[in-house]
Amino acid sequence: MDKFLIFTIAGLSTAAIYAIAASGLVVTYTTSGIFNFAHGAFSMMAAFMFWQVHMGWGVPTLPAFLLVVFVIGPAFGAIVERGIMRGIEGATDVVKIVVTISLMIALIGISMVIWKPDVARPVPAFFEGQKITVFNAVVNYQRLMAMLIAIAVAIGLRLIFKKTRLGVAMRAVVDDRGLLQLNGGRPSRTSMMAWALGSGMAALSGVLIASEQTLSATTLTLLFINAYAVAVVGRLRSLPGAFLGAVILGLLESYAIGYIPQDAMLGPISLQSSKNAIPAVMLFVVIMLQPQDRLRAHGVSRRSAGSKPVAQRVALVGGAAFILVVAGLGSLMSLTDLNLVTTGFYLAIVTLSLVPLTGYAGQISLAQLTFTGIGAVAMATWGANGSLLGVAIAVGVCAVVGGIVAFPALRLSGIYLALATAAFALFCSAMFFNQVDVMPGGNRQVPRLQIGPLSINSDFRQLVLLAVVFAAIGNLLVLLRRSAWGRRLTAMKDSPVACATLGLNLTSTKVGVFALSAAIAGAAGAISGRTFLADTLTLPGSLSVTMLAVVGGIGSIAGAFFGGMLLGAFPIGATIFAANAIGIFGFVAVSVKDILVFSPGMMGVSLGRDPDGAAPQIALGYRAVAHSVPALVTTAVGASVIWVLAKFDSIGNWSFFAAEMVFILAVVPLLPLLFAPTQVHGRRIATAIWLTLGVIVAALISWDSIFSSTGLRVIAIFVFLFLIARTAIGIFGVNPLDDADSEHVEPPSPDMFGIDRPLTKADALDAERALGLQDELLVLTAADSAGSLSSVGHSSPAGATS
Amino acid sequence: MNLLELESLSVRFGGHLAVSDVSMKVEGGRVSGLIGPNGAGKTTTFNAICGVVTPSSGRVSLGGKDISKIGTHKRARLGIGRTFQRLEVFSSLTVRENIQVGLEIRRSWSRRSATLPQYLADGGDPKPEDEINLILERLDLGPLAEQPVGALPTGHARLVELGRALAARPSVLLLDEPASGLDDSETDIFGDLLITLAANGLGILLVEHDVALVMRVCSHLSVLDFGQVIASGSPEEVRANEAVLSAYLGTAPAPETPEYSGIDLAGSTQEAGS
Amino acid sequence: MTEAQRETHPAHEQAEPLLELRGIRAAYGTIEVLHGVDLQVLPGTVVALLGPNGAGKSTTLQVACGLMKPSSGSVLLAGRDVTGVRAEDLARCGVTTIPEGKGIFPNLTVRENLLMATYAGASMRQVEAVAYERFTRLKERRSQLAGTLSGGEQQMLAMARGLAVDPAVLLLDELSMGLAPLVVEELYGIVGQIAKSGTSILVVEQFARTVLGVADVAAIMVNGLVRKVGTPSEIEQELSAAYLGG
Repeated sequence: MDKFLIFTIAGLSTAAIYAIAASGLVVTYTTSGIFNFAHGAFSMMAAFMFWQVHMGWGVPTLPAFLLVVFVIGPAFGAIVERGIMRGIEGATDVVKIVVTISLMIALIGISMVIWKPDVARPVPAFFEGQKITVFNAVVNYQRLMAMLIAIAVAIGLRLIFKKTRLGVAMRAVVDDRGLLQLNGGRPSRTSMMAWALGSGMAALSGVLIASEQTLSATTLTLLFINAYAVAVVGRLRSLPGAFLGAVILGLLESYAIGYIPQDAMLGPISLQSSKNAIPAVMLFVVIMLQPQDRLRAHGVSRRSAGSKPVAQRVALVGGAAFILVVAGLGSLMSLTDLNLVTTGFYLAIVTLSLVPLTGYAGQISLAQLTFTGIGAVAMATWGANGSLLGVAIAVGVCAVVGGIVAFPALRLSGIYLALATAAFALFCSAMFFNQVDVMPGGNRQVPRLQIGPLSINSDFRQLVLLAVVFAAIGNLLVLLRRSAWGRRLTAMKDSPVACATLGLNLTSTKVGVFALSAAIAGAAGAISGRTFLADTLTLPGSLSVTMLAVVGGIGSIAGAFFGGMLLGAFPIGATIFAANAIGIFGFVAVSVKDILVFSPGMMGVSLGRDPDGAAPQIALGYRAVAHSVPALVTTAVGASVIWVLAKFDSIGNWSFFAAEMVFILAVVPLLPLLFAPTQVHGRRIATAIWLTLGVIVAALISWDSIFSSTGLRVIAIFVFLFLIARTAIGIFGVNPLDDADSEHVEPPSPDMFGIDRPLTKADALDAERALGLQDELLVLTAADSAGSLSSVGHSSPAGATS
Repeated sequence: MNLLELESLSVRFGGHLAVSDVSMKVEGGRVSGLIGPNGAGKTTTFNAICGVVTPSSGRVSLGGKDISKIGTHKRARLGIGRTFQRLEVFSSLTVRENIQVGLEIRRSWSRRSATLPQYLADGGDPKPEDEINLILERLDLGPLAEQPVGALPTGHARLVELGRALAARPSVLLLDEPASGLDDSETDIFGDLLITLAANGLGILLVEHDVALVMRVCSHLSVLDFGQVIASGSPEEVRANEAVLSAYLGTAPAPETPEYSGIDLAGSTQEAGS
Repeated sequence: MTEAQRETHPAHEQAEPLLELRGIRAAYGTIEVLHGVDLQVLPGTVVALLGPNGAGKSTTLQVACGLMKPSSGSVLLAGRDVTGVRAEDLARCGVTTIPEGKGIFPNLTVRENLLMATYAGASMRQVEAVAYERFTRLKERRSQLAGTLSGGEQQMLAMARGLAVDPAVLLLDELSMGLAPLVVEELYGIVGQIAKSGTSILVVEQFARTVLGVADVAAIMVNGLVRKVGTPSEIEQELSAAYLGG
């Protein structure tokens, strides 16, 4: 009995924190329609911030608590709304999801930069850990406080939403944004306040848990992701539902700890970490119980002309050229370089798996790396000798699992598919990849392929194999896009309801494309020939895949390749520049490595600035490269020339790095403009000369002798390349990136148009009297621009009766 | 014979009865019209027929078979096609591809090789390519075939929706304001097309605000107001109907609507039911 | 006839409309729905804008209230150019709009709906006093969700807001939509009273004849253009043709 009570109280105190976090999520979702995947990261940041203020700067507990919860948290939410979320209102589900995920990844990165993970940051418990005894169960004050605060939050939110004008307006925005405007309310300000409120709740939950958890960016974020499952209980919209969900989840987790023995087994499955899987299972079950979404016919936006699919001939030639270039370059590479590039290539196939799902069909998955892991494990189990049969089994298993995972969520809107796949990723890292049978010692080696007499027994062959597979799958996807099924997917993305009225079974079509996507991701794992670590097959890993696939340009094969290479390149860069710290603030030390840690996230976030162009500035240029054959060729040739020069020691390592950076980051994005056949009128030749000069100068400067420290060198190179790029745009005379923003004009405010107080009926009466309109007939005159008749007799309004 | 039949169909959105006890018949081989003021429940009736909204009561049957309980795509497979008031074209595809998708979706579920309906051509089951060209030609979309639909003006995009629906070879076609966005001469041609399609066996239910067009092509009209059928009959009968005039112009008292009767707007204390 | 009338009433050439639309063109995406609409609402008058579905009446009102930005042309309020001004700023400047359908927040209670009206400047006490005095039924139902009210009551609530903030200009869109004629007549009785108190009103309506009873001026819109402006009795004669294709 005592044990039960103890675990009940413990469960309820966890529930309190979940409830607070989930309420914040519900507040932002209902008021803005954006499901904030970064909500957990907000909580995490607040926990660190509390440590910083309280322990780092020595501010006493209460002021520190108030500062973080009531000032920093809300301010952060308001800034995020203003800076990012406002831009993605009305964007597609995919963009909304990817932008918030990117924000989450960026925040994790930033927090790791500010608060280095290698230092322990204990936060002392509130009330110096005092406890009281309730019915023989010892409860510390802090947990009691959490429960009381949760109750206070429930009451407080109710009061805000029922009794204050601002709170009522937040609900009014959801009902009818335009009508609130017509009432004189300011929806944009209201949304900002709603985000501030939601973010404040995230901060509160983060601060409350700071002393109970080891402060780790990823762990804390994932902990708060559990609150998402809680919010789904209330269909993401109901606060009481969220509180109910929190109690269920808190108690389940607590009882799991209390009553499931450490060494319990369910058949071959160890239940040791089943507690971690409970939120995922709960999320999945709740999604399964949701009633099917209604189809909606609300008109299709017809702005998007859509890109024409690539011709098969171009894809074939491109694929062949790609394999040749890779083989050529690969033969020149050192072993370590080969390893790094191979990583990028395997990740490119994983991002390629999202092309049919997200690019063609407009659906999303946050578990691609999980499928890769499953493919890898299946290969290691059934294809130990590297047989192709093993690959086939791995692909089949992933397709089936993918179909099963996606089925319940596909009946619902995009956000639920994202959540269901995220739950699957969490479930697999909690219950599958950590099983001894699956990954003994936390890792699993996937055998390299043996295709008939051909053995993939060297790193070079592995690289070429990956290139061949990438090119082959890429070609198949182009074929698919041009097939009846591909057209159908595009049609379904444009208008699901029209497809249904033509007789298309939407659910089975979506399950099919999801299974295909999972199969490709699994294939990437099966042929990767590398050692997988359980720790890398986690949700954050999959989130990065999806994010960079979209950043790279999800509709195209080249975009997927770009995304995959980015995904591979960032960790590589982080390793290369491991030691170069540059101090900026007293407590912040930013290094090149750290910039690389959070810059991918920032890139994804920048999608929000221009969701229609759907690319951060750099990807905008790169995406165009993918559509221009001469630009692609120049890219390949240029990069190879620089590489070859370096290979034969004509230029130093740093000069090589500088030239390559300038080429890739400044020249390549501008190539499509230089080769654009029509429409763009710029000084092409001058720009081309300038860019060439820039690359040559970058290669000629002996960066290592001018700049003593590596960090300085890197900064100098980045500044140099920025100058080259910026000036090139100036010379060209047309900034390709300006178009998107040029339309945005701030509407005039009342002060500017000269009405200094509300007009009233009295004004109208005055005017009426002044004009002497009371009794006589008057004439309306109107400019007759369109040939409309516009003159009229008029009688006194007083005479009007019905 | 009655192809499509609605029996006492009602659709409720929360407290609002959008369609109330509507009964109506659509026969093969002629154009039936469904008219009424804004918000009368015409589009909701369409949505209930093709399964996009669930009726709260009543029955929809096609060729005598009750289809009220089955999903949208299954109803489509039984022969209900439609267009949309607010365009639902596949805007990233070309005109030809839009029609092609309609045809391909049909071929994915239609196992037996049905012959081409009479309203499209005189017998035979042409190759898909020919069938698409045939439809493009019938709708005069030939010159626009390779254009992306996203760039077309509304009137043409509506024709693309019609073509796409025809590609699924429906037996009953629901057209939701197909002529809005067409100019006068295009509307005339469009009216002729509807008449020809119906003359060759297709059952058409037309919602349209261009009353001249409706009066010309429809052989039977139903008038909806407040979700109820207030009149039905031939165009001449309907035009002369006092209830219809009042629905459009608001003079004579409309039929008893118990839901709203007796509300005291002036704030008297009189008892009112609602 | 235009020229003739202009000449006979030269004194009113400087008459300054409270609300004026000049050459308004507006488009949804690439589709233009207003092709140069001119309309004037003189102080203290009721202008009825009539026409068949899809003529662009509601779009015209959307432009006038600031929810939609015209692609060209201008909106003038008391002689000042307010084109492109946000709807909320116009609302705070004395332009109250009751939009198409139900101008209420269905998931807010009656009282909360009225609370939103206070953004335009009136105090809650004032708003409640006016609303409940006029519509006692609303007082009885003040804690009821507005979405559960009957259609007529919902429209009352919307009107109550319009009354309470005491606007200079009132824009009404399809007041009668989905309501029984008796209710509509009552509502227009109230519109007439509001008009008498000095508010200038632009009302868009399909329920043509009822509105003609309270209007001082009526205009017919067809295909994105104002085709005819005249007295209610003049316009009434044209109606049947415009609606039922004569």
